[in-house]
Amino acid sequence: MMTDQQSPQTVTMRIDGREVTVPTGTTILRAAESVGIEIPHYCYHPGLSSPAMCRLCLVEVEGWPKPAPACKTTVAEGQVVHIESEMAQAQRTGVLEFYLLNHPLDCPICDQSGECQLQDYVFAQGREHGRGREPKRVLGRDDFGGDVLFNGDRCVMCTRCVRFMREVAEDERLCVVERGNRAVIDTFFDEGLEGSPFAGNIVDICPVGALVSKDFLHKARAWDLDRTPSVCPSCSQGCNITLQTRDDLVQRLKPRENMDVNGWWMCDFGRHNYEWINRVDRVEEPLVNGETQGWPEALGSLLGRLKEAKGEVKAVTWAHSTNEEMGLLKAMMEELGGSEVVYRSPRTVGELQLPGFPLLARREDLAPNVRGAEILGFTRVGDEEAEGGLDDLATHKGVLIVVGDPLEDQNENFGAQAELFIYLGSYLSKVAGNAHYVLPTTTFAEQEGSYTNVQGRVQRFWPGIRSPGSARPGWLILGALFAEFTETEAPIGADQAFVQVAKGVPEFGEITYRDMGTRGAPARKSAGVAGD
Amino acid sequence: MSEARRIPFNNPGWAGNTGEFQLTEAQVRGDEYVGKRPPEGGHPSGTSTYPYMLAEKDPEAPLFEGAYQERFEKIRSRYPDARSALLPSLGMAQELRGHLSPETMEQVAQLLGLSPAYVRGVATFYTMYNKRPVGRFLIQVCTNISCSLCGGDDVLQAFLNNTGTEMGETSEDGNFTVMEAECLAGCGFPTTVQINSRYYENVMPKDVPEILERLKAQGE
Repeated sequence: MMTDQQSPQTVTMRIDGREVTVPTGTTILRAAESVGIEIPHYCYHPGLSSPAMCRLCLVEVEGWPKPAPACKTTVAEGQVVHIESEMAQAQRTGVLEFYLLNHPLDCPICDQSGECQLQDYVFAQGREHGRGREPKRVLGRDDFGGDVLFNGDRCVMCTRCVRFMREVAEDERLCVVERGNRAVIDTFFDEGLEGSPFAGNIVDICPVGALVSKDFLHKARAWDLDRTPSVCPSCSQGCNITLQTRDDLVQRLKPRENMDVNGWWMCDFGRHNYEWINRVDRVEEPLVNGETQGWPEALGSLLGRLKEAKGEVKAVTWAHSTNEEMGLLKAMMEELGGSEVVYRSPRTVGELQLPGFPLLARREDLAPNVRGAEILGFTRVGDEEAEGGLDDLATHKGVLIVVGDPLEDQNENFGAQAELFIYLGSYLSKVAGNAHYVLPTTTFAEQEGSYTNVQGRVQRFWPGIRSPGSARPGWLILGALFAEFTETEAPIGADQAFVQVAKGVPEFGEITYRDMGTRGAPARKSAGVAGD
Repeated sequence: MSEARRIPFNNPGWAGNTGEFQLTEAQVRGDEYVGKRPPEGGHPSGTSTYPYMLAEKDPEAPLFEGAYQERFEKIRSRYPDARSALLPSLGMAQELRGHLSPETMEQVAQLLGLSPAYVRGVATFYTMYNKRPVGRFLIQVCTNISCSLCGGDDVLQAFLNNTGTEMGETSEDGNFTVMEAECLAGCGFPTTVQINSRYYENVMPKDVPEILERLKAQGE
């Protein structure tokens, strides 16, 4: 790939016979990564410093008398690196044998099993049988507080957790106690990790099962989990996450790398705020005046009622609604000649920033799509708890549309005087009892859609679990109604719904689902980008 | 804090050129050249090595006051990074208090603006910091090669027997803690024993009761 335009800022070298051109200063490990070669490693993590202490990434560099740690050695022009040579393989086999001297090999009861780097590497390159005859050291378990449980025996002393707390969380609660064969990770005696809002990340970066989540302890095996890319709905930061599900239940949330939003990290509030997704008391079929009906009949009669309705139209939603839902609700309101749409969102005081990755913070708005509602021109009402502010809607006599918000704070007379009360929601709250039409919607985990985060970044998410009964995504319901109303084509996919929504919204410009991909795309003219 | 009696510095560390290898025990031990060692122990040549161990320890001693405060500030001013001042500061804390308790580590962390966990990591890495209380006299017997060849293990056993303690434990009267040490750099005069900050060289099991008696008398 050497060309005349080659800038001096790059070097060309060979890794296992493949020519690689990378910027000067790249490490061998990253250079190999850039051509899809993984060099086994523990202590190296792209978000942390490299102490080169695990000795697993040792590779052979031609002409060098000793093997070099790939995570720390920078590439040089014409360098020839061997990762699979006899010498490099012998290095890894030897180092892995040392790791297994004290490792308990309790994989059958270890939560990390199936996604454990020690397991993978030993399976790939370790010795078939251990030669150690000495008893293994036994350290037992230590509750580090928060959500973290430490299994000292499984630890490989990569110190990723210590460095995360020092360099990224900047809250140095962990240390290596003692040294040599007595070394062990610990906190300052009984101090623990309690109160550290980002400590959950050390469970993610632990390459083995030494640090495990107490919440996830023995809940599921890694290979039984389905993984779906998604966006954290717990605040307006919109951390990229993976929904890890089994049997249509969310088992845990894990951060997904996105250098524009959350790096490799997420906060513990978001991480543990998933049980509501698994709520089972859902509306499963459309209810018309309390009677179960099929979708065609329900929507058909609703359409007739909407066309006949005389009163003013008012609508309320919440900041958990997707861009598509909100946009189609807005279009619907415009078509019906309704007044402005109001929304509510809980809010806290103060952001919790991750010092080592300042883009990421737990934001003040504790819902994922406040920015989307703002872009669409919705009016925010209610207080910090997302309660109140709906007095004129509660006694509204015309048409009332509720999207998403179960309105748990309202009394049972909410909407009782409405001429036509349409409720699109996932839960049958007491307010929904007054609705003429209850149309079951899916949660974000069950549908495709997009949120706009605090930076004005539009991010997609995918359905991770099946929706109960015949619940449908909000955009599908609103899209179908709108299409019937205006005698146009209904969107049959969230991507089409977004295109339809984006048409009239300059901020969404010409963004499509394809542009967003798995990492989102910035909205245009997104003034006041926070965290930049 | 009582000032231990000053011993004039007298370098005993010159064995001379023996010229051949057929040596008597006395020759190996260097008796002929340096005579009898001072019964109070010698001044270790590396006397500036921290921690400097005093017989009188006060686990409640303030961190730091008076001359110690001055020393602390001097140490602190020596380094741009507070972490660099940690080792000598811990050394001073141990000198005053005898050992580094969790409270001591936390106080030192506070003084230097470091996290307690970091201080614990450093304090536990180095074996010369005592993480548990020790007796007034910390007896460290070398059992590394030279001393071992000259009966270091017997000396260690003699100290254990005569103080009636287990390794690393403190005797009932609070006077003695006996530990095994790796090389004390007194290989010319084995067996070397470090008691607090003094070096006892050429120690043999028969010398042990006398040393202990002397220390006990010193303590009263």
